[in-house]
Amino acid sequence: MTRLLRILAPLAVIGIVVLGTVYLIGRGSGDIPPASVDFSSLSGDDRQEMFDRGEWVAHASDCAACHTDPAGGSDLAGGLPMETPMGTIYGTNITPSKDHGIGGWSADDLYRAVAWGVAPGGKNLYPAMPYPSYHRITRADSDALWVWLMAQRPVDKPNQPNGLIFPFNVRPGVALWNAFFRPDAEPAQVGDSPAEQGEYLVNVLGHCGECHTPRNLAYALSDDHLAGEVIEGAYAPDLRADALARRGWSQDDLVSFLHRGLSPQGVMTFGMFPVLSHSTSHLPDEDLTAITAYLTAGQTLTGPQTADPVGVLSSEGAALYIGLCAGCHGTDGAGQPHSSVRLDVNTTAMFREPLNLIRVIAEGIPGRDLAHGERMQAMPAFDQMLSDQEMADLVNYLRQRWGGHEGDVTPDVVESARAKGDTRHQ
Amino acid sequence: MVEKITFSATINGQNVGPMDVPQDLMMVELLQEYLNLTGTRLSCGQGACNACRIIVDDPVKGTYTVAACVTGVTWLNGKTVRTIEGIAGEDGEGAPLPSAIQQAFLEHFSFQCSYCTPGFVNSATVLVEHLQRAPIAADQVEEVVLAALDPHICRCTGYVRYYQAVKEVILNTPGLTHDNPASKERPA
Repeated sequence: MTRLLRILAPLAVIGIVVLGTVYLIGRGSGDIPPASVDFSSLSGDDRQEMFDRGEWVAHASDCAACHTDPAGGSDLAGGLPMETPMGTIYGTNITPSKDHGIGGWSADDLYRAVAWGVAPGGKNLYPAMPYPSYHRITRADSDALWVWLMAQRPVDKPNQPNGLIFPFNVRPGVALWNAFFRPDAEPAQVGDSPAEQGEYLVNVLGHCGECHTPRNLAYALSDDHLAGEVIEGAYAPDLRADALARRGWSQDDLVSFLHRGLSPQGVMTFGMFPVLSHSTSHLPDEDLTAITAYLTAGQTLTGPQTADPVGVLSSEGAALYIGLCAGCHGTDGAGQPHSSVRLDVNTTAMFREPLNLIRVIAEGIPGRDLAHGERMQAMPAFDQMLSDQEMADLVNYLRQRWGGHEGDVTPDVVESARAKGDTRHQ
Repeated sequence: MVEKITFSATINGQNVGPMDVPQDLMMVELLQEYLNLTGTRLSCGQGACNACRIIVDDPVKGTYTVAACVTGVTWLNGKTVRTIEGIAGEDGEGAPLPSAIQQAFLEHFSFQCSYCTPGFVNSATVLVEHLQRAPIAADQVEEVVLAALDPHICRCTGYVRYYQAVKEVILNTPGLTHDNPASKERPA
């Protein structure tokens, strides 16, 4: 027994030292760059210029995506629940409320929180705050955002406590995660070319990879940048240039999709609808063109192209399509302007994951004002009407006829997809 | 050459078919042009206004409504369907007897032009039948009525009289609500 203790005690000490060291590495922030301006001597014009830039940063960074108040009234007062495998996390109040928001934060504090994930008092933010993407924000953009945030209406609304499961509810554990997966804050040097501007918008401010990049077992972003991922019950598709080309995007259609929420390839749905509302619809055309230039990597995309069906289409699937879909979407999948999307070139059937297609058919889509006058009427939910087998037949028909896939979706896959949707609705 | 299917169904308790119809025929056209059941109204043709809602009774999936303007005969082939013509009863002397929902709509002056009324009747009827199997608390009735009828568009009376009529039927019909003294006795 004594001998065992003699062996275990040093190991325990070594373990504690290693753990402590890792914790210390991940807990704090590194150096932060000096402020981009002297805030005490800003002229009115300078402050206005920073305010305007800050508003643009807030839109491009889509702060409201997580920090909006679901009860309405403020895009920044917090309370929006975000479901993660680790439990529910709630967006926080980032209005300049002294008691409940960030009214007491300095511009340094904001940069440290955004780029390093460390709030005043040394509190580690959960990486639901996308500091692994924001880590390359420029100090000038962070400072402009601070000027804009501090000029917003303060909302004295308390933050909602997170509902994370053990051990993820032990906040110091974030420091351990940081030690291995948090990139150092390093302000980007953004060039003038559209592709460089687009890279900054996509990878830093827009933090597109937070949904579109696969995550590893530690829920950190993997190296398969923008390769597509199932997150929050929906598939965020592969955004790499080859995949966009394969799915029949064109540069103009990408710009239209980000601007109005609609293009021949589809309509903003699931997590992208709020992105449209809060972010991309507010960005000027040159930003959307820049995003497109970066994503397409200089390729000239051909745009929508209909392909021959894959394999033999089932008569059951055809009957279901004509009986339930063709009334709005047409027997040939041509759709109707402003009411029913095209299906013949719609990319949802092309995704490797059938999840979104199944969920859209099962749950429908509410009628929505998209952006800049564009709108779509409601799509009904067919959940009650379709058995798992019928749903599989219909999904396979769509994927084979227009998606370039084999008819390999089984009723078990449908059942699992429906369960994901049910979880999201609870 | 338009492909055809052999269609048969039970509509308002009557066997219909077998009959050859174009496979891409929408149900509203079958009802009006082939079966002379003109009570189901075609309006928007996009499934948006719900004037054309009809009832499907499925032994496995339960009772639900579909917009007949965008639901094809291939989906309804072999199924049991009710349209507005099948809602009223009969008084024993051959005269139609309005259902409780229809009577309430008349008494509340719920409609003017009546174009949307068949859809409202069918959705309200399905709601009442659903509540017979799954009663709700009396204070939930307004919310449930709103949810059931919200998709229906009316351009004359402004909905309130439709909603009040359905609410009254539910609250005064025994078994549809619990904790509701008013529903314990049948209305005179």
